[in-house]
Amino acid sequence: MTAIAAGARSARTPWRGWRAHVLAALFTAPALLFLLLFFLWPVLRLLSLSVEGGSLAPYQKALTDGLYVQVLFNTALIAAYVSAVCLALGYPVAYFLANAREPWVTIGIVFVLLPFWTSILVRTYAWMVLLGRNGVINRLLLETGLIAAPLPLLNNLTGVLIGMVHVLLPYMIFPLYAVMRRVDPGLLSAAEGLGAPGWQVFRRVYLPLTLPGVLAGVTLVFILSIGFFITPALLGGGKVIMIAVLIESQVRQFLAWDFAAALSVVLLAMTLLVYFGLRRLFRGDLQWG
Amino acid sequence: MKATWKISRGLLLAAAAVLLAPAALAQTEPPKPAQIVINDSGGDMQNAMRKAFYSEFEKRYGIKVVNTSPVDLGKLQAMVKSNNVEWTVTEIGGPDAIRAEQSGLLEPLDLKIIDLKQFPAHVQDRKYVFPKGVYSTVMGYRTDIFKEGARPKTWADFWNAEKFPGPRTMQNAPQDNLEFALIADGVPMDKVYPIDVERAFKKLDQIKKHVAVWWTTGAQSAQVLIDKEAVLGTAWNGRYYGAIKNGAPIVIEWNQGSMKESAFGIPKGAKDAYWGQKFLALAAEAPAQGAYANIIGYPGLNLQADKYTDAAMIPYLPTAPQNFPSQFWTNLAWWNENGKAMEERWQRWMLQK
Repeated sequence: MTAIAAGARSARTPWRGWRAHVLAALFTAPALLFLLLFFLWPVLRLLSLSVEGGSLAPYQKALTDGLYVQVLFNTALIAAYVSAVCLALGYPVAYFLANAREPWVTIGIVFVLLPFWTSILVRTYAWMVLLGRNGVINRLLLETGLIAAPLPLLNNLTGVLIGMVHVLLPYMIFPLYAVMRRVDPGLLSAAEGLGAPGWQVFRRVYLPLTLPGVLAGVTLVFILSIGFFITPALLGGGKVIMIAVLIESQVRQFLAWDFAAALSVVLLAMTLLVYFGLRRLFRGDLQWG
Repeated sequence: MKATWKISRGLLLAAAAVLLAPAALAQTEPPKPAQIVINDSGGDMQNAMRKAFYSEFEKRYGIKVVNTSPVDLGKLQAMVKSNNVEWTVTEIGGPDAIRAEQSGLLEPLDLKIIDLKQFPAHVQDRKYVFPKGVYSTVMGYRTDIFKEGARPKTWADFWNAEKFPGPRTMQNAPQDNLEFALIADGVPMDKVYPIDVERAFKKLDQIKKHVAVWWTTGAQSAQVLIDKEAVLGTAWNGRYYGAIKNGAPIVIEWNQGSMKESAFGIPKGAKDAYWGQKFLALAAEAPAQGAYANIIGYPGLNLQADKYTDAAMIPYLPTAPQNFPSQFWTNLAWWNENGKAMEERWQRWMLQK
């Protein structure tokens, strides 16, 4: 997306003709080469691994075996939950950051970034301490008499969602923040000046203008969620199974690279499907808004 | 002329001897690298091995030991297949060792360098897998919940949630759990293999709702008891020992524990494989094994290592005379053959509500 935006911008610059093209090619060559070498090549290798045996049997199994279909579905569902919660929590935070004054912006950004500076394993264990049956939260609620029995916050889906949202929230907030900063306040004033009530201004002006940020944030969070591994295993008490766990055990325990590769390709296809689906949906929304 | 010829022949021989000497030496002792890389399970295990094995190796040969983790069969295979072996020696767990040997991922052990004569007879002729030591999957529980005289002693007790109430924790894997289920169902320890899979899963159905946490990592298995997420569980014996050492009110029940051999191997095509053999030779020595057991509670298989083990440590070792006879050996060959199918069945079983 950014590449397209950059391309559009360069077309407007006085650099025209072949010189502009050469320059553009020179500037993008290192990044392109890097992607080709370290991303596209491994992906192609993965594809070839999955059909190494000369048959499509691994794919047949990945797409028809009840276990893998069910776990793929669960994985997508959990990723959708996480994206929705991140959006609900992240949108107001991003709005605050985009409209607050210094030093609140800096303080806010530091708080959002803080989790980034701690290892994911440490954070996961910290959640275990907080959410357990005898954890900080349950003890507090029990002692103040708000609840009679400990809430089941850990070793189930709730624990997994809390842990994943905590890790992924910054990926939602920053794309939203970037887009919200660019919203022209004049447009909002104009809408108000024309007599639109507050929620109409939000729904018909602000929300459509920030939709690209929503799209970017949701896409990022969803895609990262799909590959989550250690957080669901630890906070779900083993009861929440995501596809990455099954892929890992195929490789690490059973050296079944072909089947693991087939599962990964199915996962990749699912991700692309969701990405283009969301893009279509949001573009339609933009026109409608 | 004759004299000169004689002299020159002598000179030639001398010269040849001088020239050949380093070559001959090199054959017995390749040049020392600056460092070797040993891949282990990390955490407490790594700290213990650093103290008992790595430091000693560094001192003796002046070669630095760099350690990496975790243990990963997939990575081992990828390294060997791509001819890019980073590890000199790696730990390998359970049935993975058999799989690694069968898949041709290991260098043969050089038993002229590694002395296994003080080991039990059945491991003395090892070809690829170095018998590093013994660990056991055992039952453990909180002593503040289960008081003296009313404590679970068998897997049947573990399954009995009426007599011994409270949330349980077990490993999120079929290995050990299928065996424990059969023993709980009345199968004698020596009749567990070949595993009656249907019967085992049927018995597991009964315990499922009482298991609060299916643990994934070794650290988690002990932490769950410390945090009281569960009051009764299974873990590798060293994990409980670590918690007990730090004051946790936990007791190990050795009865019907599932013993396994832990292993080291030299990846096929490893650089400095010779120094890997030398490292294994050191790890086979009784004093080093004794020192290792003293730190972590995992004994080696050198039968002389007892002499170097603290008396206070003995009760925490699966090989101690009071613990050893009440346990059984995991049949790794069975798991090597059936592991993959069992893993899938396990995941299916976990998905069922």
